[in-house]
Amino acid sequence: MTLPKKNNINVYRQVGTEPSSKELVPRRQELLDRITKSDTYLPDEILHDDLDMGMLEFVKNNLKVVSDGEQIPIIPKILTVQRWNEITNNWTFADEDGNMKVPFIGIIRKPDVQPGTNPNIQRTIPDRRQIYYSTVKTWNGNMEGADVYKMPQPVAVDISFEIIIVCQKFRDLNKFNKIVLQKFSSRQSYTTVKGHYIPIILDRISDNSPIDALENRRFYLQSYDFTMLGFLIDAEEFEIKPAISRMMLMYEFMDTKNYTKKYTNRTIEVTTASFIANGEQVTFNVGESIGFLFFVAINGLVQQRDIDFYWITGTPRITFVTAPVAGSNITILYYAGKSNVFQDSYGRLLFLSTQYFVYDGSSLIFTVDHEISDIIYVETNGLVEEDGDGYTWNGNQITYLYEPIIGSRIGVVYLR
Amino acid sequence: MENKLPITRLTKFFSEDDYLLHIQMGQEYLHGDLNMKVVLYQVDRTITDTDDVYGEVGKDQIKYKLPIEINCLVQIVQAENKSYKTGLLRYLEPGNMILSVYIKTIEDLGVDIKFGDYIGYADSEKRIRFYNVINDGKINADNKHHHFGYKPSYRTIICSPVQENEFRGV
Repeated sequence: MTLPKKNNINVYRQVGTEPSSKELVPRRQELLDRITKSDTYLPDEILHDDLDMGMLEFVKNNLKVVSDGEQIPIIPKILTVQRWNEITNNWTFADEDGNMKVPFIGIIRKPDVQPGTNPNIQRTIPDRRQIYYSTVKTWNGNMEGADVYKMPQPVAVDISFEIIIVCQKFRDLNKFNKIVLQKFSSRQSYTTVKGHYIPIILDRISDNSPIDALENRRFYLQSYDFTMLGFLIDAEEFEIKPAISRMMLMYEFMDTKNYTKKYTNRTIEVTTASFIANGEQVTFNVGESIGFLFFVAINGLVQQRDIDFYWITGTPRITFVTAPVAGSNITILYYAGKSNVFQDSYGRLLFLSTQYFVYDGSSLIFTVDHEISDIIYVETNGLVEEDGDGYTWNGNQITYLYEPIIGSRIGVVYLR
Repeated sequence: MENKLPITRLTKFFSEDDYLLHIQMGQEYLHGDLNMKVVLYQVDRTITDTDDVYGEVGKDQIKYKLPIEINCLVQIVQAENKSYKTGLLRYLEPGNMILSVYIKTIEDLGVDIKFGDYIGYADSEKRIRFYNVINDGKINADNKHHHFGYKPSYRTIICSPVQENEFRGV
């Protein structure tokens, strides 16, 4: 069998082929998911201890050295002066005297954390301005809206670590050195802190073996100085503000019927305007366009349009034929829409209608022009009747339950 | 054949017989009254398999000759808090062990104590600590080790404690 003359690995996707699942948007989504806290849409916060943990994980996972068939233990804590006694007492790799068994690898973090030098996130946005992060939909059970998530730019920090290896064999030093130099062959390597890639730079390697103390226990001690180019994301600085919370749209899909039912939760604002008459004023202005006038009442008595008062549709003014008596309470109930058309919860159009009758004694049944969807009110000579007590309604008929005085004016306001 | 170079110093006041008598009296006190003993593990440098480049050996790979008990005067320096790294990685180990051994004792046993050999000393009934010889005291031509200026009578051997991964007597 002959060997292929060319490498048959296609590193470039051919023109016209679809991107794989790991490219572009899916890959970006994957990266976003990694940094997003499980119960919010915001990134997990990253503080000093998280970065320290990232360094620990990096060392534990990448700088493993095997000596005499066993991995050289890595002290699984950041070393500090204060906690050292506790660590040695609890750690497995301590001898009967509580001393660390040599060889071992330890991680020392220098206490002073310096301003960051990571070029990606340093000195790009002045101050601590809140920057837009995302818009997240909200749902409170009735309304759908959105919250705007903001956060300031992460703070770049440089954290210095010293990884030390204490051992008694030169070969162990060689092994550790090889692993570190391989890992940092391009000067830096990366650890992952809550989904973020954090660079670590190898600064210096130095030997601190006690070569002068001839009459002491002998061991090798080498230090590897690293700088982690980290950044801080403080959840305390996150800001969430509501954006839109005016409208909810819900789609209900019916399996058996191939249509969509749209539910609209709209509030129909009916306004009551009250005035006290001064005995001279005949025109009263509600200050906004009246789309539909339910009624105008003087001291509770409903007035009849075009007889007691005039109103031009769409205008805000009610003009009485004669000025109401001083001190009279004038009530105007209206809908401030552009017309007398409403939508019900399913988007159906509803029309408001008003119709007047004069009772002539012939029948207690009054027939309106359209099918009644709902009664707004029925009044007799300006006094509102109670549904079921003064009248009943069905279809397009109003049936009085008592006999009004002949010649009474009967007004019906209804939805059709 | 060993050269014999008779020592004629102090012959008017001190002779080989006097010297041997003193040594015998000292041994009587050290061996009989004090009876302090250490165990010498002489590293067998012939059969111990060492690294070709660095001369290092693996764990438990040090081969040693038959352990021998030696009577000597034992002095152990008080333990001292030290750290591997300035202020960090503290450890507290026994101080060095300083042994004073009569040359005659070593000669009678037909052994030698060399750099790198290991010494075991029972701290208690339950525990034996091991030390590494870091000064075998062979250079003992100073006045302190000379018996009345006649000739050296003992060696001072300094040993440093070792951890069990270096040597544990197996």
